[in-house]
Amino acid sequence: MALLQPGPDAASRAALRYIQRLLPGVDAVEAGQLSDPAFPRMDPPQLVAAPMLGGGAMRATRVSGEPEARFAAFLDGTQSVRIVARHGGVPIVLGIVAAGVRERVDRRLVTWTGCAPRVERRLYLPFAYAPALAGESDSAFTVVDTTDASMGELPSRHPTALLESAIKSVRRDRERVESVLAEAWCAARAEPICIDGGIAASARVAASGVAVGVVKTHNTIHADGADLDVVLGLARGERTPPLRIQSGGRAPVSSWYLRLRDNKGHDATWGLVRIEACDTIASDADVDRISGWVLAEAAPLALPDARWDKMSYGVRNSEEFLRAIA
Amino acid sequence: MSEQALGRVVATERRPNTPHQFHFWTAVTSPVGIGTIVRVDGEHPVDGQLPKIYGAVIEGFSYSDLVSPMHDVLGHDGEPSSAGFAPTERTEIRLYTAAVLRMIPEEPLQPVPMGSVFLADENDVAVALRMDGYLREGARTGIPIGIYHAGGTDAPIYLDADFLVGPEAAHLNITGVSGLATKTSAVEWLLSSLFTHFPEKKGTIAAVAFNVKGPDLCYLDQPGKLEPADEIMYEKLGVPAKPFTNVRYFAAYDAGGYNLNTLRSNEALLHNVQPLTWGLREVLQYAEVLLNKDDVDAKADAVIDFIRDKIAGREFRDERLPKRVYNVGSFAELDEWFRDVLSMLEESNSESYRTHHVATIRKVRNRLTNIALRCAGLVTAEGTVSDLPFGSFEDRGVYVVDVALLEEDAQDLIFTRIVSKLREHLERRNLGVDHVVVFVDELNKYAATEGPETYVRKMLLDIAERGRYLGLVLFGAQQFRSQVHRRVVGNSGTSLFGRMDADELAAPGYAVLSQAIKTKLSTLEKGQLMVRHPHFTQPVFIRFPRPAVMQGRDGAELFPQAAEVALDAAVTRSLRVLDPTISLEWVKQQIALREDEEVIHARNATVLARPRDVKAFFASRLRPLAPVRAETPRQRPAPIKLPAGDDPYGF
Repeated sequence: MALLQPGPDAASRAALRYIQRLLPGVDAVEAGQLSDPAFPRMDPPQLVAAPMLGGGAMRATRVSGEPEARFAAFLDGTQSVRIVARHGGVPIVLGIVAAGVRERVDRRLVTWTGCAPRVERRLYLPFAYAPALAGESDSAFTVVDTTDASMGELPSRHPTALLESAIKSVRRDRERVESVLAEAWCAARAEPICIDGGIAASARVAASGVAVGVVKTHNTIHADGADLDVVLGLARGERTPPLRIQSGGRAPVSSWYLRLRDNKGHDATWGLVRIEACDTIASDADVDRISGWVLAEAAPLALPDARWDKMSYGVRNSEEFLRAIA
Repeated sequence: MSEQALGRVVATERRPNTPHQFHFWTAVTSPVGIGTIVRVDGEHPVDGQLPKIYGAVIEGFSYSDLVSPMHDVLGHDGEPSSAGFAPTERTEIRLYTAAVLRMIPEEPLQPVPMGSVFLADENDVAVALRMDGYLREGARTGIPIGIYHAGGTDAPIYLDADFLVGPEAAHLNITGVSGLATKTSAVEWLLSSLFTHFPEKKGTIAAVAFNVKGPDLCYLDQPGKLEPADEIMYEKLGVPAKPFTNVRYFAAYDAGGYNLNTLRSNEALLHNVQPLTWGLREVLQYAEVLLNKDDVDAKADAVIDFIRDKIAGREFRDERLPKRVYNVGSFAELDEWFRDVLSMLEESNSESYRTHHVATIRKVRNRLTNIALRCAGLVTAEGTVSDLPFGSFEDRGVYVVDVALLEEDAQDLIFTRIVSKLREHLERRNLGVDHVVVFVDELNKYAATEGPETYVRKMLLDIAERGRYLGLVLFGAQQFRSQVHRRVVGNSGTSLFGRMDADELAAPGYAVLSQAIKTKLSTLEKGQLMVRHPHFTQPVFIRFPRPAVMQGRDGAELFPQAAEVALDAAVTRSLRVLDPTISLEWVKQQIALREDEEVIHARNATVLARPRDVKAFFASRLRPLAPVRAETPRQRPAPIKLPAGDDPYGF
């Protein structure tokens, strides 16, 4: 999740001091720069149909069996983006990414000791447009060039484009630290782990039988036409058949939609999640089993988080934990 | 093994730490509770020394990540039973507030820093409560009061004798609801501890205890029942689990004058029970106690002074009076003197005697002679005195004065006179001991905030305010501390609190206590106390063992009160303590044809003198009877000659 926390907190002040050492006279930016709640928009809403794993047609299926709480841990990552200064029109961005695994022991969530939580603070700068900022990283801050060729197409000099480019870099770093932890769990443990978001960023995680991703955002819905009606019309406790999803060079995964809560009186995606699992999960029995695990996490509610309709309490707990340490 | 942290200090802008208070959180399973003593290890040195802060937990908070209870209701569809099925428990925080007991270094005085929090061990407790200052070898003045228990820590808690018995501070006050036997038990236990650990260099000590209700203090020399846990505490605190070895009881007689008015009247226990009887001189010294201030105006006061100075206990001559020479030593003799004075005034048609108006003399006569009636059993008409051994008090002796069954007037007189005598003797340093602890229960009654000014209250205030300089120490107990005179409780250096009533805790005097401390006080178990002592900057909760003496209720069952008996049996019972060979038959023989007053007088004199030959002494105190002459047979009168037949004139 993106946490936009403008304001001169301790990390921002340290970053500013570092920048001012490199570039005396750089303009500090006051809090409130990222005031648009819709910003940054990651992907445009889109419908992308995906093939059914077992063939057949899109249909709503009631999850059989009693929900069973089997997740032994929850993994989440956070990122925060702050504009701490500007050099001319170039925003100087501080990004903090963190990830951690919270293990469930005797119904209580504690930090998994198998792999320590990760917190990284970096400055994201477009060297191409501000060569003066291309200083050496020091022990306090690693500096990331957001206009490096490996990042893809060079963004325009438009300040918003530069900011979006920085945010993409931060997101990439967040996925990286999440993957590190997810891979560590999958290598060390045999119990299932619930990962907030997709699991396809890491091939090892995507291939693991213990990793289950729960995607709460639906900018991309993997259904079109009549299939879309089926997805959006799922009732509480119903799911779709598994789809095979593979995009953007990511690992293939088995994925299906599941309605956690009755959305009467709410929008179409309220209470709707998309589950990702290893692409060998294709049978109804396996899909129902994993769906049951996710349904079992419906209580306790993740309130007061606004996304409580889709979020499990374990993920919220992980987020709170990361908020405290990052 | 390295010490494991129990919690972490936290502070926010809204809830900052101060030099006197700090906050910390712990695991949900930590053994911290209200009253727990903790240690904070600071992480940054001050003047080259890592600070250590000791605190006592005074408040606790618990909350979860819920913003509204409604969220939990929604989460369980309004069905509480379904909450148990949630796979994950909500995150819960235990946040505590602790009051600072001590900081090391003490200067500069700074807000409590962030750091790890540890459960205080035995050494920490001693440092936190500044007990290290008076537990040093060679300068040890610690008196064990009980055990502080938290987590795995069992630490003995000591009071400083210099602050309990003087001269630095003195006096102890204990409060708590009645019925739990905590107050009396605590005082009994503390006296044992005090007698065991009172520093030799401070001299000798004894206790005078007023038994004001029931059989509470009637069996201090009898062993009580102890649980194994009590014995462990006795051992840890270094006090032998034994009853008091040197106890003497004092009790007045009942109105009849020959049965002791005490619950400790069982014959098996009479060996150390002594009657408490006073005569005219003893009472006159404290006549004001029993006289109504409205009655005793300046004129009456002058008459009393005249009697005290010129009449009582000395030879008085007046040629105008019928006897001319009077030796007034008892109420009976005083009444005789009054009678003669008033008769003389009547006969001479005079209105004043030595400047005192006849009406004033009549009033004083009425009031004084009435004392003997109001305090019958304590005040003897014939003047026999049986008193506490002022001047020969014994070290570690306990002198129990049983006033439980007496009328209020007699109780007032006993309190006032005994306390005054103790003070006089301590001032003159000739009591026999250097320090005396006076234990008085029911201070609500005897030293009440409101109500008329009484001599008992004056006495108690006097002890509270000046006693520590003399070695006269008040151990007071009551149910409602808020209703005891402020100067009595205010002068108590040490205060103990047992289980408290919620109404009492609502009194303004308890405003300094946090709500959590009040809650704990209202739920304390028997055997638990909260202690305030000059060295402790915060109250400390302790446990104390059951006293090793028989409890009143047990004693009353095992040694039931002797039934009231006739004079001959009562005399037998009193004399048999001195000479077991004395029988009822012998006593009956001796006192046959005697007036009750004479017998009582002889009995009192014998009991007081404790002679070697009891029988001879007792017999000698009875007036010899006039010799009985043998009845000579009378001459039979001549029979009346009766007429023969039925003719009355037939002679």
